[in-house]
Amino acid sequence: MKKWYLFLVLAFLTALVVACSSDSASEDEEDTGSEDTTETESNDTENDEEASDKEEVTLRVAWWGGQERHDRTLQVIEMYEEENPHVTIEAEYSGFDGYFDKLNTQLAAGNAPDVIQFGGNLNDFVARDVILPLDDYVGNEIDTSLHGESMLESATFNDQLFGITLGTTAWGLLLNETAFEEAGISMPSKEWTWEDFKELTPQLTENLDGTYGTGDFGEDGFGVFLSQTDKFTYLDGEIGFEAEDVKEWFNLWKELRESGGAAIPEVQVSATQTPEQSLIVQRDVAIESVASNQLGAYTGATEDEFELYPYPSNTETGKNGVSLRPSQYFAAYKDTEHPEEAAKFMDYFVNNIEATEVLGNDRGAPVNSDVRKNLIDQATELDEAVYSYIDLVSETSDAPYVPNLPGYNENTQLFTETEQIIYYEQQSVDEASEEYYEELLSNIEKYEVEEE
Amino acid sequence: MKGSEALETTTIKKKSKINKERRKQYIAAYVFLLPWLIGFLGLILGPMISSLYLSFTRFDLLSTPEWIGLANFQEMFQDDRWIASAKVTLTFVFVAVPTQLVAALLVAVLLNKKMMGVGFYRTTYYLPSLLGGSVAIAILWKNLFEIDGLINQVLAFFNIQGQGWISHPDYALGTIIILATWQFGASMVIFLAGLKQIPKELYEAAAVDGGTKPQVFFRITLPLLSPVIFFNLVIELIKSIQVFTSAFIISEGTGGPINSTLFYTLYLYQKGFTQFEMGYASAMAWILVFVLGVMTLLIFFSSKYWVHYEDGGKL
Repeated sequence: MKKWYLFLVLAFLTALVVACSSDSASEDEEDTGSEDTTETESNDTENDEEASDKEEVTLRVAWWGGQERHDRTLQVIEMYEEENPHVTIEAEYSGFDGYFDKLNTQLAAGNAPDVIQFGGNLNDFVARDVILPLDDYVGNEIDTSLHGESMLESATFNDQLFGITLGTTAWGLLLNETAFEEAGISMPSKEWTWEDFKELTPQLTENLDGTYGTGDFGEDGFGVFLSQTDKFTYLDGEIGFEAEDVKEWFNLWKELRESGGAAIPEVQVSATQTPEQSLIVQRDVAIESVASNQLGAYTGATEDEFELYPYPSNTETGKNGVSLRPSQYFAAYKDTEHPEEAAKFMDYFVNNIEATEVLGNDRGAPVNSDVRKNLIDQATELDEAVYSYIDLVSETSDAPYVPNLPGYNENTQLFTETEQIIYYEQQSVDEASEEYYEELLSNIEKYEVEEE
Repeated sequence: MKGSEALETTTIKKKSKINKERRKQYIAAYVFLLPWLIGFLGLILGPMISSLYLSFTRFDLLSTPEWIGLANFQEMFQDDRWIASAKVTLTFVFVAVPTQLVAALLVAVLLNKKMMGVGFYRTTYYLPSLLGGSVAIAILWKNLFEIDGLINQVLAFFNIQGQGWISHPDYALGTIIILATWQFGASMVIFLAGLKQIPKELYEAAAVDGGTKPQVFFRITLPLLSPVIFFNLVIELIKSIQVFTSAFIISEGTGGPINSTLFYTLYLYQKGFTQFEMGYASAMAWILVFVLGVMTLLIFFSSKYWVHYEDGGKL
């Protein structure tokens, strides 16, 4: 008994010690805060340093990507540090998997990086009030005068600009030209329809050993599919499609699997977003849906030749539904200690000629028109293919840019789950589609409430 | 009289001297324990208390938590994915723990014999459990069981058409159970130590009395090993109910296909860190603690009926 008594006493003592020490620390801070003289003094010295423009600054910059993006981005960071000796940049980079989990944890702990790369889910983070509005810096540190209007709009929420678009991209299909040759099938016309697609893919599967005609286009493909009949997922607080559209989409893919054109479930389920391990690079399929800026990353991962195609169009409307869209953004953390420096770095990243030459096309075609012209002038064959695809899209499609659904993570998982339920025939297409639609609506409602 | 009084005072003095020394020792002990105590209070008890508080709130990691009472707990029982995740974890516990213990016991009995290179074999069988929780093994497992993985290549050699084991909802959990079973090394080592402690005289007596091998195993080895089985059972239960890494890596954090590998802890992680529902995730964690506590208690109570201590349980 005595032992326990002593143990408890000591436990509480340590608790007290721990509690006291943290208290005294915060008291110290308060003390210095209340002494006006010291405060102003320290402010003065800071101002002096700023005046001489040589305050040592450390910026943390985070992004996800493949090896090529890492190499290029790190090189630009080095160039920036050379030009701005008072700035040290700590790069925090990784693959896509886990990137946002880590970021969420950092945001919760209040130590997020100063400059953060976002995708179409920027809206979710703006809604959670963790992103710095950039309006005060536009025209000063950041020059957006040459940036495309729609790209600026895509990062604008409630009339405030929250992100700098890093590039323009468009969904497209990657066709493995080498596999087509091996199958003895000539490449289709770029004005193809779903009928052509349905006819072509089973032939590919049949003529190739261990390669299926096409991979499932997934949630992104569904968005394009909706645009072909002038519908949309979610825009300005409104749902733009019905459960019927979901059924139609999943039935289309069921038909493609039954005809042998699309990959069997076990293959499709193991698909990943990493170019090196993707189905098309692994030769599991001959056609896969990608974002156009990734052509380089996919081509670099294999010996095969790839070509970018627009989606097959709807026979009745004749639309391919593909739209130009921002690839990624840089945005600043709301509580960054160096907002001006963060803004300067973002400006350098998208507007500096040398920096953009190094970055090339990896995050999509540059949004700054001068920069883009300069890059097109010295484009490699691969880059040219991407630019001409972007041109093709802007000529052939009037589809608007539709941002991600709010609650991106949860809804993407819901979509994948629904696909798999249909793949493994746990529910009929109709049942699964209806349940998907219902749950999606309640998810959107949930996130909308949070955002208000 | 005087003499006896003097005697009393000296014994009292002696006693207090002993007490003083003891107290000194105690203080020394607690000073040495202090780093652990601080860690325990700051890194375990503190977070636990705050998670208990958060379990009654709605908390998105960024705004201030909002008190919602028992709503998180009520929501759980209507959440299909929560029910699915509880099922997956319970299935895993009820299948993986027994198979792992049986495998560990059988191999331990085999390796308890005197033979050439027994040390090598012991090391070999222990190795997987050292590597067990690692990311590398989970990735290896994924590659083994993929549709064009090694398992299917071997099967193809015998003209058997393999499945996409980890991409089919009916088989994915099975591959993770096999992975867990394969890591029986830790329990095996403890079983081996237990086997060594069984007095040889008992086996000699059994041999004299003409006991058959199964008789010897079930009448002598198993009962005398029951305290070790009990220990292993509790440890493995606690370990497997919290399994996370293998499922996270093999399903790439999705728990798929169709939630078939959505372990309880994986769903908890998804709720907390990808869907920003930290209050709900905290509530889930406390349900897990509660269930784990109840299961452990049940095992402890049941131990009266099946665990035999040679000395009658008195230490």
